Amino acid sequence: MSDNAADVADDYRQALEDLTMNSRIEIATLTNIARENAGHGHEITEVLQNHIKKVPPARTLPALYVLDSVVKNVPTPYALYFGPKLYSVFMGAYTKVDNATRRKMEEMLKTWKEPVPGSISTKPVFPPEHVRPIENALIAARNVAYAAQQNSFHGQQQLLRGPGGRPSAPARDTPTPPTARPISYQVGPPQGQPPFPGPNGQPPPHLAEPVQQQPYPMRPLSTPNMIPARGTPQQLTPSVGPLHPPPQPAMREAYGTPQPRPGISVEKLKDDIQQLIIAEKAEFARDPHDTSKQSRLKALLDLQTIIQSQDMPQDQLMLVKKRIAELAVNMRASSAAPLPAYTHTPTPPAVSQQPTPVPPVAAVARPPPFAPAAAAPPGGLSLDALFGQGAKGALATLLSGAVQKPASPQAPVQQRFPPPPPPATAPLPSVAVPAAVRSTPPQKPAEPTKPAAAPALDPAALLAMLRQSGILSAAGTPPAAACSSIPPPTTAPGVFPSTNAPPVVQPYQPPGHGNRIWAGSLKQFRPLLAFQTHDGLGTPCTQCGRRFQSNEDGRRKKTAHMDWHFRVHQRIAEAEKRGQHRSWYVDEMDWIKSREAIDVDYVAPEDNQSGGDYDYDYNGQTKSGAHASSGPGGGGSSLRGKSAQNKKQPQYIPVPEDQRINTTCPICQERFEMTWLDEAQEWVWMDTVKVPQPGNLPPRVYHASCHKEAARDGGGGGGGGTGTTSSSSYPHHQQNQNWNAKGTPEPVLGKRKAEVSLFPGGGSVSVKRERF
Amino acid sequence: MSIPGLGQLAPQATASTNRTISLTPFGEWRFDVPRSSTAGVKVRLVSGTAERDGVELALSQTYTFVHTMKSKLFTWTGCTLEISGDCNDSVKQYPVVEDSPMVSYGNLHFELQKLRTEADTLAARSGRRPGPRVMVCGPPSSGKTSLARTLTALATRMHGQPLVANLDPGEGLLSLPGTLSAAVFGNLMDVEEPAGGFGVGSTPSSGPSAVPVKLPIVYYLGREKVNDDVQLWRDLTRKLASSIRAKFNEDEAVRCSGLILDTPAVSLEPVEIENLALAVREFAINVVVTLGSPKLELELQRVFAQETTPLGEVISILMLEQSDGVQQRDKHFAQFTREAAIKEYFFGDAKRTLSPSTQSVSFDEVAIFKLPDDSEDYDPSQISDTPQILEPAEITAEMSHWTLAVMNASVNDPPETIRKAPVMGFIAVADVDEDRRRLKILSPVTSRLGNRPLVWGRWPEPYINLLG
Repeated sequence: MSDNAADVADDYRQALEDLTMNSRIEIATLTNIARENAGHGHEITEVLQNHIKKVPPARTLPALYVLDSVVKNVPTPYALYFGPKLYSVFMGAYTKVDNATRRKMEEMLKTWKEPVPGSISTKPVFPPEHVRPIENALIAARNVAYAAQQNSFHGQQQLLRGPGGRPSAPARDTPTPPTARPISYQVGPPQGQPPFPGPNGQPPPHLAEPVQQQPYPMRPLSTPNMIPARGTPQQLTPSVGPLHPPPQPAMREAYGTPQPRPGISVEKLKDDIQQLIIAEKAEFARDPHDTSKQSRLKALLDLQTIIQSQDMPQDQLMLVKKRIAELAVNMRASSAAPLPAYTHTPTPPAVSQQPTPVPPVAAVARPPPFAPAAAAPPGGLSLDALFGQGAKGALATLLSGAVQKPASPQAPVQQRFPPPPPPATAPLPSVAVPAAVRSTPPQKPAEPTKPAAAPALDPAALLAMLRQSGILSAAGTPPAAACSSIPPPTTAPGVFPSTNAPPVVQPYQPPGHGNRIWAGSLKQFRPLLAFQTHDGLGTPCTQCGRRFQSNEDGRRKKTAHMDWHFRVHQRIAEAEKRGQHRSWYVDEMDWIKSREAIDVDYVAPEDNQSGGDYDYDYNGQTKSGAHASSGPGGGGSSLRGKSAQNKKQPQYIPVPEDQRINTTCPICQERFEMTWLDEAQEWVWMDTVKVPQPGNLPPRVYHASCHKEAARDGGGGGGGGTGTTSSSSYPHHQQNQNWNAKGTPEPVLGKRKAEVSLFPGGGSVSVKRERF
Repeated sequence: MSIPGLGQLAPQATASTNRTISLTPFGEWRFDVPRSSTAGVKVRLVSGTAERDGVELALSQTYTFVHTMKSKLFTWTGCTLEISGDCNDSVKQYPVVEDSPMVSYGNLHFELQKLRTEADTLAARSGRRPGPRVMVCGPPSSGKTSLARTLTALATRMHGQPLVANLDPGEGLLSLPGTLSAAVFGNLMDVEEPAGGFGVGSTPSSGPSAVPVKLPIVYYLGREKVNDDVQLWRDLTRKLASSIRAKFNEDEAVRCSGLILDTPAVSLEPVEIENLALAVREFAINVVVTLGSPKLELELQRVFAQETTPLGEVISILMLEQSDGVQQRDKHFAQFTREAAIKEYFFGDAKRTLSPSTQSVSFDEVAIFKLPDDSEDYDPSQISDTPQILEPAEITAEMSHWTLAVMNASVNDPPETIRKAPVMGFIAVADVDEDRRRLKILSPVTSRLGNRPLVWGRWPEPYINLLG
């Protein structure tokens, strides 16, 4: 990584210059460069932003795609850097490109509202407060376009009167049909009437006919291609464009607080904290040795824990929120470089050309309900107006949120505040205040709440304050302290009613799960452990080194193990003559159901009451739950040898596909265990027989031994009550024939060709039926 | 009594390379069998105990390590080994045992064992808590797989049945490269196999196997690196995780033994960290072991500072030193192991010869899908890592020598289903006859493919000399 930020910026600028077309590879490369130089993220952000502004329209889209790619692939820090500038970047580009590109941009914008595909984060690419202003602007523009289209529908001649002789459709005399405008948007525009010059430097039009200056037509969503791109894009490059933000705080308020909330949303607060943490982490990553950053980050994380783990009363939340807002300001100011007052950030450099008239107070103060529909378009159309809104960004939202809080009636702090500000739609007293002042007034009302609210912008101070005020317990480290119900003497007793705080807080670490493993403790040599992996496990098998205990259980297992070795050796010799092949892997369900075959779990044939039906280890498993730990043959190795010894045909059926077939034995009520039978290359139910039923009923499946016993006893099938008595017993040889009929001529199990059934469970049911 | 002409040459031939070495406790014999050594290296444990990645060697048995194998034998207690054959080897002794990374690895195993016992006792009291879920991660060539293998072997040695999963498509676990897979390891692992029991040679075949086989569930990425198709990798990771959860639900012994997860190498890129984080969350990992990378440890600690597993357990993130004996594997070595795996899949190894079937199929009989070519245009709605939809592949001579995955799905399934279906196996395209529109394929089994779709990925690369 280059140390020289200027170099990085310069290189990146040149790399961007070379990007002339939409090329995935080039964009990926630029993304990678940005990723590698995330430490200089701010410079790169600046470079890219400027590039998008300056680049000719034809090359704007690739540049925007670089932004898109960078932000999606390297969200930290780029999403943070670009967020506040998003509006100006996006709208600036939007004004100068043609309609096809705009459509692409709109599609891109849509993806910003969603999480990055495949990302584990559920957060959208950009937070809504950054995307929404753009959307609002686009909606407004569409409405205007729609209105214009309506207009042109009514009278073509109006087209010709368009400003600058462009064949656009000014909506000057026709009010926008109210139906075409989303309600959400009707709040803002009235105050936002921008008395600014049009794109071509025309004098500000009268308020009554603001549509003329529509700098970029947008197609209504529902009526694509109705509006042609008007004017050549070049005419509208931002350098000559009227891109100044109207310093209209009232409008700002209107946009910033779209839905005034009665209280403080904890969710929002958590979100804000989360964002701060991300930003702080980015800072920290840049300079891991800075202890102040570290402590700030820690404090924030602690705060997050607290917020998440308990319900705080509104007033306390509000305090926290206010602090967070201040912090956010602080952080952006420091990390996002020269943002003198965040209100001005999105202002393009070209402001100076035209004077920025102060909006007539009358216009501002005009109550929204009376705003004529026709007045709405300029708000959406003029960049100037929109920039006012775009300038807000997350911080302004935070701040405005802070202003709103006093209005919430349930907050006990309320009386200490100045009278709550009027609803967002009404102009604030500070409406006429120039932009620079804007940020301050909202903060002021909040200050009286807490003497400690001095401009200490450090989260640590915030925590201290919280602690002091009783939200946090004063003792202990923040995470552990987890703010139980200690209400220390508060300086402002009425402000923090400790009774509001929930008395019990979830502990930070769930008890009983303290199984943390520490790397440090692993370094220590413990001689005993070596014993435990060796002699502690018993004596090893002479053939493979696997160890077995010398107790009863161990000896039994070892016998089985040695048996297994013996059988395998025998069978290997046999198999070599025959030729073998790799088996297919299994499907998910079969894999999940399979059990590891372990020789030691071999069950001796004493279970074998019914004379030869129990050929396999796992038959015992089906019958006797006592061997719960034993698994039927999944790997299949243990079952092979046994079959070589007892050359008897096993009784099993492939796992039926027919859903109607019973899965438990009607006699003993035990479930059939599905096992992988290597020789058959199938999933089978061992020790089972299928008994056909009269009519169209599906056949019933029994444990072969159960069924045999029941039949021998002449009983009616034990607890099953299934009416199988008539079917009498099915001797083994019949089963064998059954299998032979299926096309596996060799009675010796070991020689069964695996290709009999390539696909487990397939096609055997019908074969079975043939016999009956 | 000696017969003239016999009995004289043989002893001399072996005597030249026969040697005996003694290791003190925690000593290691590191070896690297060159490709030229066709017979490999034979090793016999004369006294003491020795193990390869946790799997104990039996006393007085002769083990053969084939060419291109790089590994080490380790002893807890000291041992004497008798070695014959050519290899580059070295002996590393640790006079101060605490210097050996194996101390930490062993201790880690016992910590995990504690958690397993706990899960066991809880299970007895109707609890459903699984044993430890361990993830091993680290930079390239840090010994991740070796550690995973060691932990697995030690667990099975104590008669546990841990699930082992691999998320690194660079090398396959019980499968070919380019796949993600998992399997229960409840039994002895193959000491002699180059991959030490993790290789494709340990999967089931139609015949017996001297070392118990393991049954894997396999998903096909068809790429060498995770970054080549992050989206699909994540999807498959999720699928694998859900299969493993189901397995845990189904099998108590496995649940109590927990999971050992091997991961792709990372170089601290954010997307890689995110991938690891995804794995931790999906598999409910509660022990994260980073090998030899304090930065990675720090990064993960930051990510999981506030998180617990879905079961409310603390996520331990710890760094262990990597062994200084870790061998760098160059490109040729990697290619060789890859091709060896393909060969072993179809033809078996010295211990178990397999006979694949060569089939001739018409172009119309098989349904082959492939990934679409990388698009030239950047599309913001699909960031570069978006999964690509499968499309039917045109069968051309270009397909020769590629290994295709046979999916456990039907050709009529939607492409998305096919893409994420478990793998049934692999076939190799031996020859494409475009004129007669016939394919010659090498299939592990003799039966027809039926309506199983094939997927033509981009990894592993074609193996030209598979049949040569």
